[in-house]
This record gives sequence, structure tokens and C-alpha cells, in this order.
Amino acid sequence: MSAAVEISVVVPVFDEEQNLVPLQAELAAALNGLGEPWEVVYVDDRSRDGSLATMLRLRDADPHVRVIAFRARAGQTAALAAGFDHARGNILVTIDGDLQNDPADIPKLVAELRRGHDIVAGWRRDRHDGWFLRRLPSRVANELIRRVTGVEIHDTGCTLKAFRRELVHNLPIYSEQHRFLPAMSRSTGARISEVVVNHRARRFGRSKYGISRLVRVLLDLLVIKMVTAFSQRPLAYFMLLTVPFLLASGVFAVDCLKNWEQLSLDNKWGRGAVIVYGFLFMLCCFFLGLGLVAELAVKASGMHGRRARRVIMSSPEPQGRAR
Amino acid sequence: MTLEQERPQPQRSEARRAALSPQPNVIDVSVIVPITMPGAHVRQVVESMARELERLERSWECILVFDGVRGKAWAEAAELVQRFPDKVRSIGFQQSFGESVCLSGGFEQARGRIIVTTPQYVQVDPWELGRMLAELEAGADFVTPWRSPRIDPRLNRIQSALFNWVMRRIIHARFHDLNCYFRAFKREVLEELTIYGDMYRFLPVIAYRQGFKVVETKVRHLQEWGGAGFFGLGVYVRRVLDILGMVFLAKFTLKPLRFFGVLGGTLVVLGGSVLTYLFYLWLAKDEGLYQKPLFLVALIISVLGVQIIGFGLVGEIIIYTQARNLREYRVERIWDSRTAPDADARNDDQHRPRSA
Repeated sequence: MSAAVEISVVVPVFDEEQNLVPLQAELAAALNGLGEPWEVVYVDDRSRDGSLATMLRLRDADPHVRVIAFRARAGQTAALAAGFDHARGNILVTIDGDLQNDPADIPKLVAELRRGHDIVAGWRRDRHDGWFLRRLPSRVANELIRRVTGVEIHDTGCTLKAFRRELVHNLPIYSEQHRFLPAMSRSTGARISEVVVNHRARRFGRSKYGISRLVRVLLDLLVIKMVTAFSQRPLAYFMLLTVPFLLASGVFAVDCLKNWEQLSLDNKWGRGAVIVYGFLFMLCCFFLGLGLVAELAVKASGMHGRRARRVIMSSPEPQGRAR
Repeated sequence: MTLEQERPQPQRSEARRAALSPQPNVIDVSVIVPITMPGAHVRQVVESMARELERLERSWECILVFDGVRGKAWAEAAELVQRFPDKVRSIGFQQSFGESVCLSGGFEQARGRIIVTTPQYVQVDPWELGRMLAELEAGADFVTPWRSPRIDPRLNRIQSALFNWVMRRIIHARFHDLNCYFRAFKREVLEELTIYGDMYRFLPVIAYRQGFKVVETKVRHLQEWGGAGFFGLGVYVRRVLDILGMVFLAKFTLKPLRFFGVLGGTLVVLGGSVLTYLFYLWLAKDEGLYQKPLFLVALIISVLGVQIIGFGLVGEIIIYTQARNLREYRVERIWDSRTAPDADARNDDQHRPRSA
């Protein structure tokens, strides 16, 4: 394995003991067909069954396999982040450990990526899951995500995705937000595409999602949308937030000035208008202060510099890449 | 008697345990002693530890970290350094940084596979050290003591029990004695952490959170420094802030907006609904608005709510921009591909047959 790895497949695993062996076989079949050096990085998120032992057996049997074990349970997003951090390939493919994604689709994703895209998302057009509990919430969530982020992807929840390495290494991945990676990278000019992928019914084990996820996903979406916008120009957005309060305080200020002669804390103008005006104006100043602090935080993080670098790195069309 | 902590996660599987083997360090045990008072019993501590470790036949070293103090203890330390060359070292800070920084500073110098911290006087029977080391060898990552029975005045015991009870309630880690610093743990525990402030006290809790196996063991209490009675008010305030900080950091580090948003949102909804009602009375029933104290109160509450949400937003922006530097996961072990040149062959392939 001294040759540089071209394709890294990252598999987050939580209690998938029975699925791993067939998954590895299918991955090997699909990736060997590409004829490029590849690796599979299994990330064990503290499975309670024999998943880790199975992974280690797979590693013994196949030199392409690497295994990362967590010390404490950290969630799927963290597992993906760990996989990204340790993968060596130029192309990173994420896939679920539950066999519902079909590894045979990976060559399609890779080909699409090489056509000049930075992210290729899988689209499970024919899903084999319960309609009410899984597909309906997913439809709603995806429609909303598409509207809000403006990223034309049908299926953000599909784990089967392919990324160009340089892009991923600069993306913030935290909390439960792996599904928003395409949405988050859009503001940086990433070229995003999608490919219809096969989706299969679950054979072993049990699903770890539910309908309660929908609400959290939507809240996360809101936060992501706001934070990506705010972190671009924090001061400007915080000033935007002050506008309604500034307008309202203006109304009360006019009210005060109209009754200038009677202005005193003993009558209704003093007790009302002045106080309301004072509070609203204070809020405006407060937001301006927060905006400045946020500006400092963003500047100190060096995020803008990273973004500039990323745009430069991904701008040449990747057609001429050595195969 | 040993109390194994209940863990939300399962116990380590045999494969996991077998694969985790200790790093080859030169020394078995590094004893780190933070010294905060010039009257510290440095000689007694070092001598008792040395005697015990010699008896247990472990190679050892002792690092005395002076937290901005000198005095008699400093002179004793100099003498000990002479007496145990290569074994006892002392580090002196120019000013006081607190025990957490002492531990970090000592740890930077430590070469031991196992780190033992001890208070600056012989608080606990040194004989317990052997049991704690045995506990570590049996698979624990961190051994935290429980002084039982305690010999200090009743009032102190009640206060301490109350503190530990509150901690147990709030953070659901079942430790009975977070205030005893006679602890033993594996090197790995500190390798991933930077500790500061009052984190020294909470080290067992933090280690437990990181997924280390923390075992509590009862120890014999020999003596206690400090008089009976109440501490200054500042101490209690600090303690409460510590607890709040622990809870906040543990639950919301990566989701500040969730914490501040819920708090501020509640206030906004509360204040906003009262304001709406008052506006309704004003417009529809022509009742006075400005005269009502309730109006002022509702206004203040809403403004406060908006401000709190604002804080959450800034927190979220900070996390977002720093997310690449924050690792949410703790890697226990990486098994590299079997034939990779940097594969960890040392402690890895010996217990599994090679198939190719």
C-alpha cells in the first residue's frame, strides 16, 4: 500500500455486526473494478455488539481496511469527521454501514466527481423504508432544505456521498450536521451534483432514526442557515437585526419630542415613551456590540483566509487529474 | 472495597482490551505533588511514597511543583533532590497558577506510565497506593479515592457530603469524594486534555466523560489540613460556578444556541405575551398602557430574552468558525491497514494470526 491512495471510503459503524462482512465484500468488488488504489476506513462509534471484532477480522483479511475505534460514543457526524481526518485518499466517499446503500454505486459517484464537481450526493429515488415514519418526514425536510439553502439536491439525508478532499478538510463538521455539508459548502462556490443511487431494504439490525429527528433537523437547518450567513459578515447582519428595534425606538423618540414641554418622569410621557425608547435603543447598542465581538471571533479564527485558499484550490477543472 | 462505576457504554470487549497495550515508557510511576503552602510536608510525602513504591518494586520519580510558594518546603525539596538524584525533581512557578496548572506542568516533565497525584501532606494511608496500582493493572484507567470513614470535623464532612451529593445529582457520575486528590491514573488520560482553573477537582468526572474507565476505591483517611467551620463566602460562590460551568461545558459546548435559545426564547415568549395582552387592552379597551408596572416588567423581560438569544448566536458563530479545531471524538485506537509501512506491528499482530 505504498502507492498513494486515491479513493477512501469512510464507513461510520454503530451496531452493524452482521452487515459488515457483506458490505466489505461489495465494497471490494466495486472498488477493485475501478483499478485505482483504495482504502476503507471503518469508524467504530462504540458499538455494543461484536462490530469492532468483525472489523478487525476484516482488517486482517484485507490490506485495504483501516479501523478507528472511539473511546466514547460521539455520534455519526463525529464518526464521519474522524474518518475524514484520517483518510488518505483524494476522493472521500461516505457510505452507511447498514447495507442500504449499494457500494456498486461508488464508481458512478466517482465518475461524476471527476466530471468537475466538488461534492456528489446520492439520491435514493426509490426508497425502501416505511412511508410514514421515514419517507414522508424525509420528503418534507428535503423540500425545506432545498428552499432554504438553495442547493438543488433531492436527498440530503443520504449518507452515500463523494467529496473532493481539499473541500472537506476545510469544512466545519460538528454537532449533527453532516447532512448539511453540501449546503454549507455552497456559499464557498463548491460545485455540487447528484446521482441516482440504488437503495435497499434493511437486511440485518435495526434503524437508528425516527420521526423525532425531523424537528431537530429543521432546527439545525435554521441554525446553519443563520450561522453561515452571519459568519460571512457578522457586523452587517447584527446591524440588520437592530433595524426593527431602531425603527420602534424612533417612533417613541418622536412621541417624546412631540410632547417635549411636558417631558417628565411624573407623567405618562416620562414613564412610558422615554422608558420604551431607552430600552429599545439599549438593545440596538447591545446588538452592535455583539456584532463587533462576532467580527473579532470570525477574524481570529482565520476562516476567511481558509475560504480564499479553498476557492483557489478547487478552481482548475479537475479533468486532467492523473489516473 | 472497590466500586466499579456504572457506565452508559458497555464494558470493553475482550478484543478491545487485548488490543490496547501500554506504551513503552521508561518509568512505572510518576508522582506529582502540587505544593501551594510553604509549610507543606514535602519530606513526609516524598518519603512515604518512595518507601511504598520501593516496596512494590516499581521504578518511580517524583515531581514537586511549587505553585509560587517557597519557604521551608522549598528547602526540604532541595534536600530531597540531593538525596534522590534522578528521582526527585522540583519545579517552581514564579507566581500562583492553581493546582490544575501545577498538574499540567508536572505532567509535561513526567515520564511514568502511571501518574499519581498526592496532596502536599500525608492525607491518606500510603499503603493504599499498592491497591490503586493493582486496580490500574486490572484494567482501570483512573482510580479515584473515597476517604471512608473520614476523620475531619463533622461540619466539614457535612459540607463535603453535600457538595458531592449535588455533583452526583447534576452530572450523574457516582463519585463520593471529589475533594481528595490522592489519585492514580494512566498517562493517556492527561495526554488528551489541557486542564485549567478548577478542573483539577473534577478530573475523575472529566476522565469518565472522555470514556475512560474510572474506578472508585475506599481509602483510609489519616489526617486533614484546615480547621473546622465554614469557608469564606467566596469559596461557596466559586464552587457553585464550578458546577454550573461543568454542566454547561458538558452539555452545550457545541450547541450554544440551543442553551441560550431555549433560555432567551422562554423569556421572549413570556414577556411578549404579556405585552400583547397589554396592547390589546390599550387599543381595544382604551386602558392606559404606560401607567402599568406590568408593562415595564414585561418589557424588561423581553429585552433580556432577546439579549440572551444574541449571546447564543455569537456563541454559535464562534463554534462554527472554530469547528475545524474542535475534535468532538476521542480516538481510542487506530488499526492501520495491515501492510501499511507505519502499521503498528509492535503490540498488535502478536495476538492475532496473520492470514496472508
